[in-house]
Amino acid sequence: MPGTHLEPASIAQRMSQELFSGAVVALGPGLPCHLPGALLETDTVWFIADSGALGFTLGVKKSGAEHSAVDAGGNAVALLPGGSFTGVVDVAGILRGGHTDIAVLQPSQVAVNGDFVHWTSEETAGLLAPGSAVDMAYGAETVIAVMPHEYPGSRSNIVSQCSLPVDGAGKVNIIITDVAVIKVTAAGLELVETAPGWTAEEVIAMTDAPLTVSSDLKEMTFNVPTLEPTNKVYTSAVEALSDVPEGSIINVDGFAGPGGMAHYLMVGLRDVGVKGLQLISNTAGIARMSAFGAPNIIDHSILVENNQVVKATASYPVSPSASRPSAFEEAYNRGETELEVVPQGTLAERLRSGGAGVAAFYTPTGAGTLLGEGKEARTIDGKDYILETGLQADFCIIRGYKADTLGNVVYKGTSRNFNPVMATTAKITVVEVDEIVEPGQLGPEEIVTPGLFIDRIVVRPADFSAYLEI
Amino acid sequence: MTSTPENSPGDPIKQGKLYSSALAALEGISNDATVLVAGFAGCGIPQKLLCGLAETGVSGLTLICQGAWIQEPGDFTVADLVAGGQVKKMISPMPFHPTHGGPVKERWQSGELEVEVVSQGVLAERLRAGGAGIGGVFLPSSSGTRFVEGKEVRQYDGREHVLELALKADFALLRAMASDTLGNMVYDGTARNWNPTMAMAAGVTVVEVDAVHEPGGIDPELVITQAIFIDRLVLSA
Repeated sequence: MPGTHLEPASIAQRMSQELFSGAVVALGPGLPCHLPGALLETDTVWFIADSGALGFTLGVKKSGAEHSAVDAGGNAVALLPGGSFTGVVDVAGILRGGHTDIAVLQPSQVAVNGDFVHWTSEETAGLLAPGSAVDMAYGAETVIAVMPHEYPGSRSNIVSQCSLPVDGAGKVNIIITDVAVIKVTAAGLELVETAPGWTAEEVIAMTDAPLTVSSDLKEMTFNVPTLEPTNKVYTSAVEALSDVPEGSIINVDGFAGPGGMAHYLMVGLRDVGVKGLQLISNTAGIARMSAFGAPNIIDHSILVENNQVVKATASYPVSPSASRPSAFEEAYNRGETELEVVPQGTLAERLRSGGAGVAAFYTPTGAGTLLGEGKEARTIDGKDYILETGLQADFCIIRGYKADTLGNVVYKGTSRNFNPVMATTAKITVVEVDEIVEPGQLGPEEIVTPGLFIDRIVVRPADFSAYLEI
Repeated sequence: MTSTPENSPGDPIKQGKLYSSALAALEGISNDATVLVAGFAGCGIPQKLLCGLAETGVSGLTLICQGAWIQEPGDFTVADLVAGGQVKKMISPMPFHPTHGGPVKERWQSGELEVEVVSQGVLAERLRAGGAGIGGVFLPSSSGTRFVEGKEVRQYDGREHVLELALKADFALLRAMASDTLGNMVYDGTARNWNPTMAMAAGVTVVEVDAVHEPGGIDPELVITQAIFIDRLVLSA
């Protein structure tokens, strides 16, 4: 007589063992929605639901239809301190853009090669419900399928080959069911754990795919890990930028004048002294030259003058006054730097694409002009477009107003500018803020850049001046 | 695209962008229109506008929405509109609950309703492209799935990417927690969902809102959807 089938709460406890501190975890509808309930509220895992909730645990459903925060399955959730809300297009960008570590899904079928079919039933086999499963499975490092081993009627959900069109090809890494844990490997499915009371033979008998039994087969356990917070707060700009590699592509925020520029981080980058930098930025340092700045305002020029810059991708690369060239312009005229000129909207869109997993897009801006030369032209519905590609960076330095210790950022006025979009595109994003607060002190509707995009936080010292001594 | 606010205090139908009823706010909608409907899993659904749409009696509609997954007793959702026979096609990532079914499933099975299933991220991106003037985008996530069929495919970074074209609609029916009279919007929790994206992608954007403030009554740092995208407002209650 086999053991009993595990309840969702026990499956959630087993699922929690796959998590790690600071992990960004996307949860699909069904069994995955139980996972937050297994954790302590102090654990630092970012749960994301495609409903637009970030950083939550299970909640209590309000009366009537007007519950204001739900997960992927429509269950009520409660935000944890530092949680926030976003819309579905930004969720799609987070999922597709590779900003998640783990995706947890409940497929109706998983095959030996990791293919899966999301949620459906035999009766509605012609009409499957992908929801966000396609993006979740694509973007995450690890995909966990959590599902009943069989559906009622003893049909195995684990199969040699999916009998329905798949929502993800070769994506599933681990299968956790109500009787077993199975790893998807290049050599096929490997049974690594069985639920209490179940033998490997019993699990094999109810699986419609070949299973090899691990030499290290274990009984499933249900202890929940404690996940300590990760520290994102650095003591200085130099400390936060000390490992920027030579030749890095760096997003530098800012619009034109002093507002919304990470002056303290720029000075830090200069003091670190790393060479060969390729800047992506709205300007290549014209604040000093323009009416917005003062002659001694800190801008990109300090990096150019320190011979650290080899290229700029910018929309306002030169000084508005030909008689007063910027440091970058002078370096360019001397043949020391490369320049790629991009219209501002295209620059923003290319950055957004880079962050959201969009490889390329057709934009009307620049079609038929010098800016379109050498680029693919295409007419869609009678309108002319050119093809532009997404931009990604190694590092990003941005300027916020306040951040909490989890990295959620708010801005002030037009100093928001390129900051939120640049934060999504870099491997490591460093934010400079006036003040760091505790999670929960920034309102969930107020947070503009969710902490999952932010890796390092520094406070601009109170005595720091954005002006060079002259 | 945006209608000009007209301050006509004596007008019983509308003052500025604020209309006196859902039916009035849907003026101009016609048979065979394509309509975006916001909402996700029972959250942020413009129920009053959907009732108004039923009242207009227009037919042959194409609805683009999350789907008809969750229905609380007393709710009026896209499922009701489908049940009433006004809808010929639904484009959705989760058209109906696989086990609970409902009118969408019944009409799909009987052949009275065409259903196009799309991945949520692709639908969101297509609407965003439509609203942001982008003609099309190359997306990687559908690689190896049924969603590639019939579409142009290119390799970027050694991976298959699929061309998805921009999507726009005639009307968008949205739901917000509060706005000002100009149409600057804030939402409540996950009721935000499709609203900001759909607001950009329709010829006429109509919002059902719980409270309307004077301009300045909403913190500029908190505005999610700017007034320039909003044409018409109607109070939810």
